Parts: sequence; C-alpha cells; structure tokens
Amino acid sequence: MLKINQLISGYGSVQILNGANMKVEKQSIVALLGGNGTGKSTILRAASGLIRSWKGTIEFNGEQIQNLPAHEIVGRGLVQVTQGKDVFPAMSVTENLKLGGFILKSKKQLLDNLEKVYNYFPRLNERKDQLAATLSGGELQMLCIGRGLMSNPKMIMLDEPSAALAPQIVLDIFKNINRIRQDGLTVLVVEQNVRMALLLADYGYVIKDGVINVEGDSKKLMYDESVKESYLGGTKANV
Amino acid sequence: MFNKLRIGKKGENIIFGTFVLLYIGWCVNSPDMNIESLKSVLTIGLSVGIIYGLVALGISLIYTGLDVVNFSHGEFFMIGAFAGLTMFNLLGNQDWIFNVFPDAYGWIIYVVCLFTAFVSMGLFGVFIERVFLRPLTKKGGGYTVAGMGIIICGFGLSVVLINVAYLIWNPVAKPFPAELGLPMEIGGLFLPITYIWMIVVGLSVAAGLWFFLNKTKMGLGIRAVAYSKDVSNLVGINVPLYISIIFGIACAIAGIGGTLVGPTYQVVVFMGYIILMKAFAAAVVGGFGNLPGAIVGGFTVGIFETASSFYISGSHKDLYAFLLMIVVLMIKPTGFFGVQVKMKA
Repeated sequence: MLKINQLISGYGSVQILNGANMKVEKQSIVALLGGNGTGKSTILRAASGLIRSWKGTIEFNGEQIQNLPAHEIVGRGLVQVTQGKDVFPAMSVTENLKLGGFILKSKKQLLDNLEKVYNYFPRLNERKDQLAATLSGGELQMLCIGRGLMSNPKMIMLDEPSAALAPQIVLDIFKNINRIRQDGLTVLVVEQNVRMALLLADYGYVIKDGVINVEGDSKKLMYDESVKESYLGGTKANV
Repeated sequence: MFNKLRIGKKGENIIFGTFVLLYIGWCVNSPDMNIESLKSVLTIGLSVGIIYGLVALGISLIYTGLDVVNFSHGEFFMIGAFAGLTMFNLLGNQDWIFNVFPDAYGWIIYVVCLFTAFVSMGLFGVFIERVFLRPLTKKGGGYTVAGMGIIICGFGLSVVLINVAYLIWNPVAKPFPAELGLPMEIGGLFLPITYIWMIVVGLSVAAGLWFFLNKTKMGLGIRAVAYSKDVSNLVGINVPLYISIIFGIACAIAGIGGTLVGPTYQVVVFMGYIILMKAFAAAVVGGFGNLPGAIVGGFTVGIFETASSFYISGSHKDLYAFLLMIVVLMIKPTGFFGVQVKMKA
C-alpha cells in the first residue's frame, strides 16, 4: 500500500531523514516507533506532502506521490491524522468533521460519513454542537481521527494518538483504531507508547537518527533488546 | 476570525468610558450643538465610517488569512474607484440604456460600475498576489512572521501602483457624476443621496461577507486556512488557491469602497494613502483581525472624525482618526473586540 524508499528529507537546511525504508501492507496496522527527534513525524509530514522530500520515493497504491501538493495526496486516499491539539478550536465539532470531508463532492456522501464517524465515536455525537475548544483531550483525539475518516481514505497515518492521554482513554482509542482496520482501512501509527503500540500493531519499525534501525513482527519486537536501546540512548546503560 | 465579541477588562473599560464621556461633554458644550447638526454629523460620519470599515475589513481579512498586513490596500481602493469611473464613462454615452430605463438609468449604470469594480479588483488582487507576493513566500516561511519581505513588498507595490495610475489617469481629480436623484434634506443640510447609498451598500457587502464565510463551503475553507495552513492542507484544502481567494476578496471589497466614495468626493490618484491609514486606525480601534470589529471600528472612526471637525475644529480633520487610534492603543490595546493574539508581522 505505502512504500517508502531511501527517503531523505528535513526542515530548512537541517536533514532529519537519512534514507528511511519502510513498507505498509494493505489492511494492516503498522507501528513506527522512536524517541524524540528521531524523524518519526518527519516521515509522516513528507508522506502527506507538508514538507518536500529531498531524495528517494514514496509510493502509494503503486503511484509515486512524493512532492505532490498535500491536498492531492488527500484526494488519493492517504490521510494524516494530526495530534489532538490540531483542531479548529473556534468551530463546532460538526464543522470540524465537515472540514475533514472537504474534498467530497456530494452532500449525501458527507452526511453518510458523518453518520459513520458518530457510529465509531458516540461521544462526538453527544457534543456535536459544542466548540472544539471545549472538548477534553480524549475527545479531541477522537475528533481528529473522525476528521481523518471523513474523506473516505484508503489509509490513515496517526501521529501519536496516545500523547498526553489517560491509559483508559488510550485503550478506548486503540480499540477503535482496530475496528477501523477491520472495516478495511490500512493504518500507520507513530507512537512513543511502545507497549501499547506493539500490542495493537501487526508489524513494527523502530527509527533512530533518521534511518530504520530495527523492524519486525510486533510480537517479536516486544521482547527485542535493541528496541529498548533505541529508546534509552545509543548504548546500554552500565549500572 | 470570529472571536466571540469579548468586551475587554473592567478597568480598561472604565478609563475608556471616562474618555468617551469627557469627549461627549466637550461636543455638547460646543455652540454648534443642536439636534439638527447632530443628525447630519451622524449621517456623514456613518457614511464615511462604512468606507473606512470596508477597507479595514479587507486589511483584517488579509491579516487573519495570510498573517501579514497589506500596506498596498489603499491603492486597490483607488484603482477600484478608477475602474468604476472608467465603466461609468463607457456607459454614460450609451443612449439605449436611457431609452430602455428612462426612470432608473442612473441607478442601473451605478450598480454596473460597482459590480465592475468588485470583479475587476478581485481579479487584479489575485493577479498581484500570484505574481508579486507568492514568489516571496518560497524563500521565507510562507505567509508568517518570517514574511517580512511581503510587508516591504506591500510598500513598494503601493508606490508602483500610484505611479502606474498616475501614468494612466494623470493626477487631476476627476468628477464621478453618477445621477442618483435629488439630494435629501437631513438636519438642515442638503446631502447627496449617495451618503445613504454608501451606508446601505457597505452594510450589505459586510453582511454578504459574513454569510459567505459562515454559511458556504468555501467560507468554511477560508476560516480553516486562516486558522492553520498545515491542518488545512491535511484535510485536503488547496491552500495556495484559498490564499489567492482571500486576497482577491479583500481587494474586491476595497474596490467597491472606492466606487462608493467616487460620486460624493472625487476620484484622484492619491486618495488611497489617507484611506489606508484611517482604515488601519479603524481596524485597530475595532480589534485587529476581527471582522465585525473592523466595521464597528470604521463607524467609530468616521463618527469621531466628523463630530470633532464639526464641533471642535474643522481645520484638523485628518488628525482625529489617529488621535483616537493612539488613545485606544494606550488604554485598550486590543481594541473593542480584539483578543490578545500571538505576535504576527
């Protein structure tokens, strides 16, 4: 579904990614793990067209999409779900969701998708006329995922869905992500919460210094020493 | 863009209210004060104010959408007036309009002129944005604080546009003799009917903009782009296109403003500069970046200016708008409806 090949990219003149390779199969959940500043989010931003790819290719459904305008990438069915803080706070929940379906042409399709999202997240239905600024952290994250689902995507990429949330809410959101996968979508999750992410995912990649360091089946990664190393720093702590 | 109309802190309001009361007291003590003169002051003040408000609306719209202040906005106002005047001269010697609509031909021609100014300035604004401003965003961080180049480009554009207009239309002030019917008597003064016409059209344009931004899909997109370019990109909005649309709408509104003042005052190449400065004062008074605030600020500046030149001293007319701006900045820095926002260039 999504294939990233020798991707080099960064911000301004600062290079963050040094040739990252990864692959996401259809209808799978793949976790992309790594510490702060390792380039997790950079991969997402390059894939969704927010920053330019300097070198390398990004393929989606067999077509090269690197350096396309961001709205065209959304049109092809690859949608990035932002962190919960990136909503439009002065708009109501429904308006936020309608913005997610901005590329849809027909009004009926928009209302159908709205219904679908409220089905995934009944909490949003209860609060549909409230301003997004008044929602709790968990509800904001639900709103972001719902907004991503509005445009009939084939694949969604989540940027740290568990950031700053209570464990109970994270569990709830991850259950919903699993349900979304069962309904036929492909999911890429960028996470810092390694345990939860690996419980959810089928396959995992660990990124370090802009390259994929370790990859493998999620059950295997869970007990992999090098994953811990990637998180704790370059060398094992000698205690 | 539509901050809930928040009426500032209590202390600020008390000090500001004291100033307002002192000012009203000063005006009431004036020997010219009577109900008749008050009526005409209010009419003139509101009609001038809506023009300031329309230009301030454009400045605020560009500020919220693009995060920059457009210092060439007065020139779009001026060229809009010339666009309307050109259309007026084209239609003025067409006899068939007079033959088909013998009663209302003056109005019909004037409405066509307003429409011409609106459309042509909209397209001209998109052209300016695409050709002169867009290339600058490639170097800096887009239309953000890093876009200081765009602000300086705005000053340059202002000089260039004035001089281009000077070449085309020469610096002589031109009359805009729209035939809109007899003057009306308000408070003992015979005022041209265009004063009322300005208020009506100006308020309709503002209401139309409100409807467009709040009730249409494109308006939803514009509000999204104004809040965050990145998130708008991620929901599939064509952000470069929408930035052009925002700029175009702001310029189109300025163009309408130019054609509206044409028949009352005269059309001259240098009319843009002072209007820009006063519209800036209006935007600050109303709360910078707040769209309803821009219109309210425009009315406030217009009435304050007219009342002061009537009751205090008429020879310092251009001083009062900036005096009001300074007082508002000192006492109530957020303006009437503004909220404290992060620093924008």
